[in-house]
Amino acid sequence: MKKLTLAVSLALCVGTAYAQNKTIQIAGFGAKSGVVRSFGVNSEAALLAAADVINKGGGVKLADGSKARIAIEFYDDRCNAEEGISVIRRIAGTDAVVAVGPTCSNVAEPLFGILQKKVGDASDSGLQFPVFTDVAIKVGLAKISEWAFRNVPNEMTMYNSLFYWLRTTHPNAKTVYGGVEEDFAHSRATWYLVMKGRAEASGFEVLGNSKWLLADTNFATQVREMKKANADVVAISAHPFTTCGVLKEMQRQGVKPKLLVGLTSSSSLETLQGCAKQAEGIIIPTSFAPINKEAINAAQSTAKFKGNADLHSMAAWENMFILKNVMESEKITGTDVQGDRRKIRDGLAKLKTTKGLIGVSKRDAEREADKPYLFVHAKKGEWKVLYNPL
Amino acid sequence: MLDFLQAVSDGVLFGATYALIGIGFTLVFGVMHKINMAYAAASVGGAYCGLLVLKVMAGAPAWLVFLGAFAAGGVLGWMVYLTCFHFIPLSSPLATLMSTVGMLLLIDEVIVHVTNGMPQNYPLMFDDVMLRAGEFTLRGDLLLVFGVSVLVMIGLLLLLYHTRLGLATRAVSQQPVAAQLCGIRLVRVNALTFVVTGLLGGIAGALIGASVGMLSPLLTLPLTVKGLIVTVIGGLGSVPGAIVAGLLVGGFENVLQLYRGVTERDLYVMLLLFVFLVFRPGGIFAPKSGRD
Amino acid sequence: MDFYFSLAQLIGVHTLLGLSAYIVLLTGQVSLAQAGFFAVGAYTAGMLTVLAGWHLVPALGASALSGAAVACAVGFPALRVKGLMLVIATLAFGEGVRLFFFNFDYQVAVDGIRLGPLGGEGFRQIRFFPENGWGTGEVMLFMWVFVIAAMALLWWFDRSRYGSVLRAVGEDELAAQSVGINLTAVKVSAMTVGGAIAGVGGGLYAHYTTHIEHSSFNILVATFAIAYPILGGLRNVFGTLLAVIFVQGFLVEGLRFMGDWRNLLFGALIVLAMNLRPSGFLGGRRRA
Repeated sequence: MKKLTLAVSLALCVGTAYAQNKTIQIAGFGAKSGVVRSFGVNSEAALLAAADVINKGGGVKLADGSKARIAIEFYDDRCNAEEGISVIRRIAGTDAVVAVGPTCSNVAEPLFGILQKKVGDASDSGLQFPVFTDVAIKVGLAKISEWAFRNVPNEMTMYNSLFYWLRTTHPNAKTVYGGVEEDFAHSRATWYLVMKGRAEASGFEVLGNSKWLLADTNFATQVREMKKANADVVAISAHPFTTCGVLKEMQRQGVKPKLLVGLTSSSSLETLQGCAKQAEGIIIPTSFAPINKEAINAAQSTAKFKGNADLHSMAAWENMFILKNVMESEKITGTDVQGDRRKIRDGLAKLKTTKGLIGVSKRDAEREADKPYLFVHAKKGEWKVLYNPL
Repeated sequence: MLDFLQAVSDGVLFGATYALIGIGFTLVFGVMHKINMAYAAASVGGAYCGLLVLKVMAGAPAWLVFLGAFAAGGVLGWMVYLTCFHFIPLSSPLATLMSTVGMLLLIDEVIVHVTNGMPQNYPLMFDDVMLRAGEFTLRGDLLLVFGVSVLVMIGLLLLLYHTRLGLATRAVSQQPVAAQLCGIRLVRVNALTFVVTGLLGGIAGALIGASVGMLSPLLTLPLTVKGLIVTVIGGLGSVPGAIVAGLLVGGFENVLQLYRGVTERDLYVMLLLFVFLVFRPGGIFAPKSGRD
Repeated sequence: MDFYFSLAQLIGVHTLLGLSAYIVLLTGQVSLAQAGFFAVGAYTAGMLTVLAGWHLVPALGASALSGAAVACAVGFPALRVKGLMLVIATLAFGEGVRLFFFNFDYQVAVDGIRLGPLGGEGFRQIRFFPENGWGTGEVMLFMWVFVIAAMALLWWFDRSRYGSVLRAVGEDELAAQSVGINLTAVKVSAMTVGGAIAGVGGGLYAHYTTHIEHSSFNILVATFAIAYPILGGLRNVFGTLLAVIFVQGFLVEGLRFMGDWRNLLFGALIVLAMNLRPSGFLGGRRRA
């Protein structure tokens, strides 16, 4: 009996000791339902894994010198604008000091719209809450609000460099033909605003492009156009489902360009799951590959939380460490939630560079990142590093 | 001209997959005068279940996967009947419309959870066969889909007109009360209709998976819409109508895409459909006693 | 608190969408065109406040008018057909509207920045509420004025002769016709009122999300428009409200504590609800 009392009182002591330990709440959100579920699952795993590493290292140092643990709560927004707004309002109602997300650009866009446009503008009743995006990649979103930050790869730089590299290493390849998934914000913007212009800037001749829709299943006509153009390089700006559909139709019709280029988001497991054989050789620029010890560690830690490491989820990982540094340098209190949110926002806005897994990223005035990148290609059912321009 | 012919033939052949889905919708409508919104989702679900064969037996031949999809489709059809129709009175058509919509969302989400939403590679049949005449080509696997649709139609007609089950089914569809008075068990016939359409759906799903090359939950909603369109254009309850309508829709779609581009393609398809329905509400093959 | 205000706004918007389908359902017609009217209202109000600098109230009036006009125009031909034919005809129309906005570019430079709908990229920065300093509570009250007005209007219809006529057509068209009711006039008028309500709902939706694009008005939205009155029952307008609270408040937000199960329960609970209450939550005995 005595032993039991002792054990109980001990447990109570330990309990109170933990309760006195401070925690900093960070919210994650993204799609964990629907066809983009894998993105949310991977982001959540990366956030949890990064928080775990930070907590094991002692946590975050607060203004008064004490240490606080990081607690992650992840919310599903179903890749739906309305739900995204509800989620961010819900998060703003908790003690969370910053949110990492969302997955979809069509959620990010309305979400950034309800944030306050200019910091300190009293006439603007928009939400005052910092959001640090890991996945939603559509060009030029963070400029919508001064509370919005992104750590997503800069496709402009990546494709510029990729086409330049292709031009110099494959002097025989002179012409480019595009394929674009027309009704998805990201893929559409990437072809028209990025790939097309960047290819021309590197001296390629763009012969034209074929279009299809996100849920299309029959690509015969489009691939026939592609075949007629007979370009040396085929650049496909589409997500894995239609990328695979088009690649399979290309195989059927015997379209074999010298080089294949894909969309950043397609350098994931999904493409390999859907069509490893047809995707063989496709070249994609990405901002993550397990090329150094740190990156390998990050990937392994994320795998423990049942997530895959790819360019999107590893951005979530990086965000956690960037936020840790910002919280420490801005000396957040851990008690004044709204004050801490503002400090984090200002801290993020001040950053000129951040340390990432594969190198240093530059940050610009529009709160976007210019991340280091490398080129990978599909080789025997795996993504292998093809060229590292760093 | 060659472009036009090629677009027509590509589209018409791909329309065979729409036809297969349309047959299922039209059959349920013919027997129960109800729409099963979950049909396309259950068909895709059956095709996914077929992939389990590959999990159990790596490297199994494609036809075994198809067989698995066929069986799973039947089971799913029965489950849809049980959850969405059995306990709901026949007098509430809106209730079954809604319950099957709920089922569609549920099946989609189950697929998403099992596969994390990632597209799954599907085993192919006759994919390497391409019939060629100069520049003009025809896809072998789609010819197979077309052939299967015709076989299915013949099988269904035999079933409906040469078996006792078919007799009972037709009796129920014409006069449910009178059929019951003659000792036909209404519930059993309805349930069997769902199993039969489910079996068909499983095959349809597998064939669609094979002709697309992949399965994704992205497929279910567009297939549902295409299936419904094919059902009404073909004339409610008409199996040959559904086949012709499926091919027509596929062909039209592809020709419009050739001339108007992909962004306007569906716009014109929808406008044409609207005009067609308003001015020829009976469909192409409306049965003489056509409802509505 | 902001979260609950925001959720109440969302429930208000969806109630308007559901009510627009409710009145059409009373006449026995299942219309999947409501998302189309919703879209027309959303783009109208958004363009008027952002590009023309209108106040939101007249812009919503314009939304109601444009929604009603489109509904009336489509009602005449579409309502000649019934049953599944009508479902597909209206679905085709609704999708047609969505695809129209997918191809619709109209950008004007406001203060040096090009704003307005841009096809597949959507229409961003519809920030009337925050720019005018409205708090979420005020926005909620503003929206609910419209919701309550629409509910009161339909409630009054239900009590009046017009409501009886609507239900008579819904119960038995032949009988209604034989007592001298003009079927086309009744159905088209119901569609027009529904179009106006959906238009206002769309206008509010655009300002709620601040960004709209064609995919915000897809078939799922159209399906939920009819799902609310069906789930709620057609006895009165409160059924629709209750169904919206059930779906948006309970299934979407209330079940968050279930984690991954939430999405699975979404469909499953709709199936269950229809099994338990085939005529809807507040549905009485009603002939099909």
